Amino acid sequence: MLLEKYTDHINEILSRYPVRRSALLPLLNLAQREDGYVSESAMKEIARILRLTPSQVYEVVTFYTMLNLKPIGKFHIQVCRSLMCALVGSDTLVGWLQARLGIRPRETTPDRLFTLSTVECLASCGTGPMMQVNEEYYEQLTEEKVDRILADLKRDGTCSLKSGPFMFPQPELQQVKR
Amino acid sequence: MADVAIETVTLTIDGVPVTALKGTLVIEAARQMGVMIPHFCYHPKLKPDANCRMCVVEIEKVPKLQTSCSTPVAEGMVVRTATTVVNEAHKSILEFILANHPLDCPVCDQGGRCDLQDFSHESTPTTSRFVEVKRIFQKEYFSPLIETEMNRCVQCLRCVRYCDEVMDVKALAPSGRGTMTEIKHFSIHELDCEFCGGCVQICPVGAITSRLSMYEFRPWMLKRADTICTYCGDGCQITIQTKENELIEVNSSHGAGRNNGDLCPRGFFGYHVSTHPDRLQHPLIRRNGALVQTTWEEALEFIAETCLSLKLAHGPTAFAGLIASRCTNEDLYVFQKFMRLVIGTNQLDSSARYGHINGVRALLRVQGTHRWTIAFEDIVSAHALLLVGTNITETNPITGLKVKEAVKKRGAVLVTVEALQPAIGTISNITNLAAHHVTAHPERFGDAVLGLIKGVVEEGLVDPSLTQRAPEYVKAISEAVRCLPWSAIEQATGSTSSALRAAARAFADAPRAVILVGQGVLRAPGGSGVTTTLLDLLLLTGHHGRPGCGLAPLAEENNDQGAVEMGTVAEFLPGPGDLTDQAVRERIAGLWKEELPQTPGRTLMEILDDARAGTVKVLFVVGENPVGTLPHAARAKEALERLELLVCQELFLTETAALADVVLPACSYAEKSGTFTNTEGHVQSVRQAIEPVGESRPDWEILSALSVLLGYPIEYREPREILKEIRSLISGYGLLGPAPIPPRPDAAVVEGYLKKGFAEDVTSRYSLSSSTDRQAGNLTLVVAQSLFHSGKLSTRAKGLLELQKAGALALNPADATLLGIAEGDQVRLSNARGQMTTSVQVRDRVPEGQAVFPEHFDQEVRRLLSVSPDPQTGAPYFKTTQVKVEKV
Ligand code: SF4
Ligand code: SF4
Ligand code: SF4
Ligand code: FES
Ligand code: FES
Repeated sequence: MLLEKYTDHINEILSRYPVRRSALLPLLNLAQREDGYVSESAMKEIARILRLTPSQVYEVVTFYTMLNLKPIGKFHIQVCRSLMCALVGSDTLVGWLQARLGIRPRETTPDRLFTLSTVECLASCGTGPMMQVNEEYYEQLTEEKVDRILADLKRDGTCSLKSGPFMFPQPELQQVKR
Repeated sequence: MADVAIETVTLTIDGVPVTALKGTLVIEAARQMGVMIPHFCYHPKLKPDANCRMCVVEIEKVPKLQTSCSTPVAEGMVVRTATTVVNEAHKSILEFILANHPLDCPVCDQGGRCDLQDFSHESTPTTSRFVEVKRIFQKEYFSPLIETEMNRCVQCLRCVRYCDEVMDVKALAPSGRGTMTEIKHFSIHELDCEFCGGCVQICPVGAITSRLSMYEFRPWMLKRADTICTYCGDGCQITIQTKENELIEVNSSHGAGRNNGDLCPRGFFGYHVSTHPDRLQHPLIRRNGALVQTTWEEALEFIAETCLSLKLAHGPTAFAGLIASRCTNEDLYVFQKFMRLVIGTNQLDSSARYGHINGVRALLRVQGTHRWTIAFEDIVSAHALLLVGTNITETNPITGLKVKEAVKKRGAVLVTVEALQPAIGTISNITNLAAHHVTAHPERFGDAVLGLIKGVVEEGLVDPSLTQRAPEYVKAISEAVRCLPWSAIEQATGSTSSALRAAARAFADAPRAVILVGQGVLRAPGGSGVTTTLLDLLLLTGHHGRPGCGLAPLAEENNDQGAVEMGTVAEFLPGPGDLTDQAVRERIAGLWKEELPQTPGRTLMEILDDARAGTVKVLFVVGENPVGTLPHAARAKEALERLELLVCQELFLTETAALADVVLPACSYAEKSGTFTNTEGHVQSVRQAIEPVGESRPDWEILSALSVLLGYPIEYREPREILKEIRSLISGYGLLGPAPIPPRPDAAVVEGYLKKGFAEDVTSRYSLSSSTDRQAGNLTLVVAQSLFHSGKLSTRAKGLLELQKAGALALNPADATLLGIAEGDQVRLSNARGQMTTSVQVRDRVPEGQAVFPEHFDQEVRRLLSVSPDPQTGAPYFKTTQVKVEKV
């Protein structure tokens, strides 16, 4: 139960809005962080907290592609396939991933390690093709890089090639400035 | 009602100058002058959403096309609805919709009455530029009664908005986005909602349809009869559609009737009751202890002979009659005339006795009217509404919609005193909309009312002109409530004094205030007294007699009000006029050309007593079922078994009819014509939709046939002749017009009440109910009406059985936890009178300490109930009791 576990946090979220219903997205976000997806019981609980019907919560969850309705793998790989990345080969990137993982977009590997998705622009257009794994970005991807990332993630749960979601201005440049 | 200055604007639509009210939408202004602008997402009941773009028009000086469904008219506006640009736009919108629409019109139940078909017929070219594959949604099971075919959906969201804005149920979710938006309930779960059918009715295409009539018709094959629903006092207009004498579907068109086209599940899905296979098809007569089929001639002759000999032996006081207020006014009128003239007794009563009479008696006592002094329109336009013991969503759902409209659309302040608490559920809950709510104990509505009056007095909200006009009255009540300690009121109501004061203030401060009283009050001890006290509240706050203000008792049965007005209750002659009022008697006798019997009337419970005592020997029962309604403690069966002759006119072999000597098959509302009078006193036409089932005949006709055999013919050729006679005798039956004109309170009666009348019981009415604290571990059992049924009649409607086919005990989660019970568990209910087992539902809306069971399935529960008739009105009270609940 979210409310039991995060009483203070939830109350703080609720206190931010004059209209209770406005707290819906932050609470859904909380639920997704907790389980990796928004479960039915979470939707029902959030409905109770916000005095909404479960249907009202459900419609919002289905509207936002970033909210998952099904359990996902430990690593959620989201490949940008908007125009800029497409021009530099996001299709090929998706192809590599499909071949390595043996799944198609919107599927999860049987070992529940990886879920593959394709998404719209992740605001990293200058460094495509790129993908986001959970909270981290991996940019200017090549076949070798993809292999290494997948292997590292499998083995260590992380990979040093990650570039963080805030690539620009590049870290070196920031240092120079300082 | 009208207290706003009416402002109009003048504009031009398609070259024609039009005047419309300020705020009118262009699409409506056009409709008013006969120009129909094509539209999908617009509906007059809903807030504009402007999502489909179908309704675009050209407006001079505005560069782009505008959606006429969301643009209000303006002075000097020049609108063109049929230019080339507009027509092109309509075509493109349709082309987009048809890019995905499956065009499966041949198998779509909407075919022939579909907006998409009609608009396409008007403006689409026969070819499309789209070659892409159409969107395909997997077919999913939606619910037992409502079918979805999402490939047909034009995504106008009318269904979703109706369910939210009008119903306040919020059961539908537009899931996904863009073209792939799909209407669902909650994830993959089947629909669980009020099943009002509103989404079926409002969907412009065949995306949401009724499964009850699926694939059974093409709209143009159907024969329509506009008639009135038989399932509650709201009196909704329904259109029964039939094909070759078969009931196919029921709907109600926008703008129709007092319900404005809205319905509840009973009205929308409950119509199959008339053609249930168990309907009685032939007269039955008891031979050697068993009921066997007979002919009408034989049955009627047997009754006539037996009656004549018993009347000779025992006189007319050995006869009595009971009639259900489901019957038409014509049936009711002929029934009482039959009893009074042909038999010669006033010993007759109707099911209005169960509670409606309490409201009527209070109104008559205080203001001299037997009807509401307001209409539905006044509920919608009230500034403050007070609901006491109504459970309105489940008992009078359409009156409930008026309350929702007042609160949601017009910002009225809602005060609720209900045996319910705010909680989101699968059906709407009126207390969720309340600004002030008191969770009342079902036996203590009166205490909460006293709390409100104390609030009014102590906050200084008493109308000064009343204090001048009736100082004694104000003084007596003020003193009486001052003597009631807040602590006791707080304990009895569970509300704080400041909450009650605030509620009192909200009510008193409103320019127009309306009180609705429901079965919770009317069918509980002191029902008539609490209603009287609520009228005191109106008087004290100065609302009484003001236009648009008033108190409205909600009628439970479709013709409770008619039963009272036709004089089919113990104390009234037609009118209603007092049985002992000489002037009334003379008038009626003059018209009937016959003396009226002198004997006093007898109420339902008294008649049963008389039967048990052997003084009543013959009982005519028309549609009433005391054995199946009253608790076992009333010993109705025992009473009826002692009769020498029991005649029942019935649709089904009910518990009562099973005891009869003769059972005569009667027509249901769908097979006869006549009128019903709804809760607000609106007389409406009932029209025949199908031929009588089997050999059944309308009740009035049966009584009329009997009267001939009994030597006192009261004959009519058709119901209209009866109505003509009713008109000459009873006011308010003249015009069956579109809206009732409510009566005004009788000033002389009000004066009398204020001067003297109030005093006779002011002390008893202004004391808190004696503490009926339940013993530890006991719950208060409330036997209440459910949204999905009406009495026992609807338990034979196959559609409604899909929604609820058995009783279950609804408990508050805290009580369930305390008892170690979960949803679906079996429990034993017991008290000194008996025990029974049933399953449990856990419901947030049920207050702690209460357990609610639906009265429609109370066969076992009635064992546990006691019954006590009201000392003044004789209404039998049996809806609540204390029980011990244990897990089995
Ligand atoms: S039938 Fe159910 S879903 Fe449809 S409008 Fe009524 S309450 Fe909502
Ligand atoms: S189901 Fe009908 S009413 Fe609902 S969005 Fe689709 S077309 Fe509109
Ligand atoms: S039961 Fe009452 S509210 Fe429902 S449709 Fe019939 S008259 Fe209307
Ligand atoms: S287009 Fe890929 S990150 Fe913007
Ligand atoms: S009807 Fe106006 S936009 Fe849909």
